[in-house]
Amino acid sequence: MFSFKKKSLGSMKLAMSGLMVMVLFLSACGNNNAGNSANSGAEVSAAPTVEASTAPAETTAPAVEKTVTDSMGHKVIIPANPQRVLGSYLEDYLVTLGVTPVAQWSVPNGIQDYLAADLKDVPKISYDLPLEAVTSFTPDLILIQSESEVQNGLYDQLNKIAPTYVVGDALSKDWRKALLTIGEILNKTPEAEQAIKDYDQKAADAKEKLAGAIGKESAAILWLVQKNFYIVDETRSSGAVLYTDLGVTLPNLVTEIPEGTRATWNPISLEKLAELTADHIFLVNSDKTEGSAILDSAIWKGIPAVKAGKVHELSSTASWLYSGATAGSQTIDDVLASLVK
Amino acid sequence: MSKIVLSPYERQRRTRGITVLSSLGILILAVFIVSMNTGFMRLSPLDVLHTLAGEGTHQQKLILFEFRLPRIVISLLVGAGFAVSGCILQSLSRNALAEPGTLGINAGAGFAVIIYISFFPASTTASVFLLPLLALAGAGLTATLIYFLSYRKEDGLSPTRLILIGIAVSAGIYAFQLILSLRLDPRNYQFVATWIAGKIWGGDWRFVLALLPWLLILLPFSFYKARVLNVLNLGDQTSAGLGAPVEKERILLLAAAVALAGSCVAVSGGIGFVGLIAPHLARRLVGPRHQVLLPACALIGALLLLTADTLGRWVLQPAEIPTGIVVAIIGAPYFLYLLAKSKA
Repeated sequence: MFSFKKKSLGSMKLAMSGLMVMVLFLSACGNNNAGNSANSGAEVSAAPTVEASTAPAETTAPAVEKTVTDSMGHKVIIPANPQRVLGSYLEDYLVTLGVTPVAQWSVPNGIQDYLAADLKDVPKISYDLPLEAVTSFTPDLILIQSESEVQNGLYDQLNKIAPTYVVGDALSKDWRKALLTIGEILNKTPEAEQAIKDYDQKAADAKEKLAGAIGKESAAILWLVQKNFYIVDETRSSGAVLYTDLGVTLPNLVTEIPEGTRATWNPISLEKLAELTADHIFLVNSDKTEGSAILDSAIWKGIPAVKAGKVHELSSTASWLYSGATAGSQTIDDVLASLVK
Repeated sequence: MSKIVLSPYERQRRTRGITVLSSLGILILAVFIVSMNTGFMRLSPLDVLHTLAGEGTHQQKLILFEFRLPRIVISLLVGAGFAVSGCILQSLSRNALAEPGTLGINAGAGFAVIIYISFFPASTTASVFLLPLLALAGAGLTATLIYFLSYRKEDGLSPTRLILIGIAVSAGIYAFQLILSLRLDPRNYQFVATWIAGKIWGGDWRFVLALLPWLLILLPFSFYKARVLNVLNLGDQTSAGLGAPVEKERILLLAAAVALAGSCVAVSGGIGFVGLIAPHLARRLVGPRHQVLLPACALIGALLLLTADTLGRWVLQPAEIPTGIVVAIIGAPYFLYLLAKSKA
């Protein structure tokens, strides 16, 4: 039995690698056509400007196919000039780099609304990347955010459709690093570096204005969804922007959560919220209809910041739940609009 | 065995068996063709034919040969496996409610898989072949536990006790499963949740290869044991009186049923109902003789699961309904109807 299995595994591997070569070859052939015919006008017109801006560094070296190793250890052959990129849940990076993906991440009840302006005409693809749907978009490069999205053989399946690169959880934690990595893959390192520089400049300016406007006042970021409140610390999404980049003081409740047990967004009960002493509250309200009752409760109304009318409500379509240069930049705009009068 | 002169009744029964089996085969073929056409990408029957003849585009080939076909084959195999397993269990326990699901075998196999997923996430290629083995171990342990708990020296294996203890043990295992799955991170949890609901997630030839050896050995083995099952179905005392080594045969067949269900669970998740309904349907169509009943079961199970999988892919496009849920939606009303009817 065992020897049979082993043998079949071996022959399967052989067959798979043969197939992979074939697929790569075929997709390489198919790309040119697909790229030419399916390219939107925007892409075509964007290409020359890209060349121009990268000119000093890369005039002598035209883009060539390159082999890179992703976070799961796959050797991925990145096409010379990826034209049809699919980067599910990595759209922020793609938008930042000026790349229009072939499809955008979606769940049954929504998309990443804050990118809607840039991704208006981009068709949706379900977050779990149904293979046939992926195939229908004929991508020439697939970027995956997290290892867990491609478990149990899904990676191999996707890789049959197009070269698939897993950015990985470790890298995704720091959007700057992730942006640089993706920039490198897409031959857009200068754009990535520029985007980070622009963002940091914007953050520094905003930090100065904020210091003048609110000084050492603290602010909490609360997310209300399905009648539950969540609070974020300084490591993720809008928390990283507000506390780390803009230097706003953390509120008491966040600092009280032991560091080891902090999740991205920590659930917090209404009773606990009563103890919140923050001067300002940013409220991301994903519960416009059902959850609003909780905002009429006596406990909520008794919170000092609420009493003082210092609640800045943000719609569920805001960028505050996301990370990235585009998300962070929009978050800064929101903060300034709310706190600097 | 010497030649037996067939009575007209017996001859009639055999022709009926052959008719049923071949029409089931034709039905499977029909659903197979429909299933090949069904999916996110529209492929007309003509496209499918072209692609099968090797003339399709790269995209069409990819979808047909790499995504749809393996899934169809897995549906067929899993359906047959669950159905035959259920049939063996029903005959052994002489209880029409026995099936891998109610006996806690699915739960045990699932538990093993979930433990594996929660402690070794994101492992790739090796797990494809490891999962059936793990599921098998889980199923085997659970089955052994249930067998020992329900076996009494005085009166052997009581069918009712077997079912009750099976249900109790699986309830316990599901509770542990829930505890474990709540500790998973959201993405893994989602995988586990859809897995428990019975989603054929291994749409890959490797899964076919991982599953095939088990079925290639166990299905013929159970067909070969059809006569023994006929005798065991009569009850312990009668079958012992007829000269069957009851205990030995029962353990052997039980192991076969457990192994069948276990290896299927690993690939498809906890698809219940197929193992329950297919034997009932088969018995109505071909009668209680296992020589025909078991193959009929296998075909019905395969047909049922392939139909469910095709429907699941089609109804809520582009989203998919887990196959196990479709089976339950189709199966439950029919089963209630059966229960209501058999009361009279």
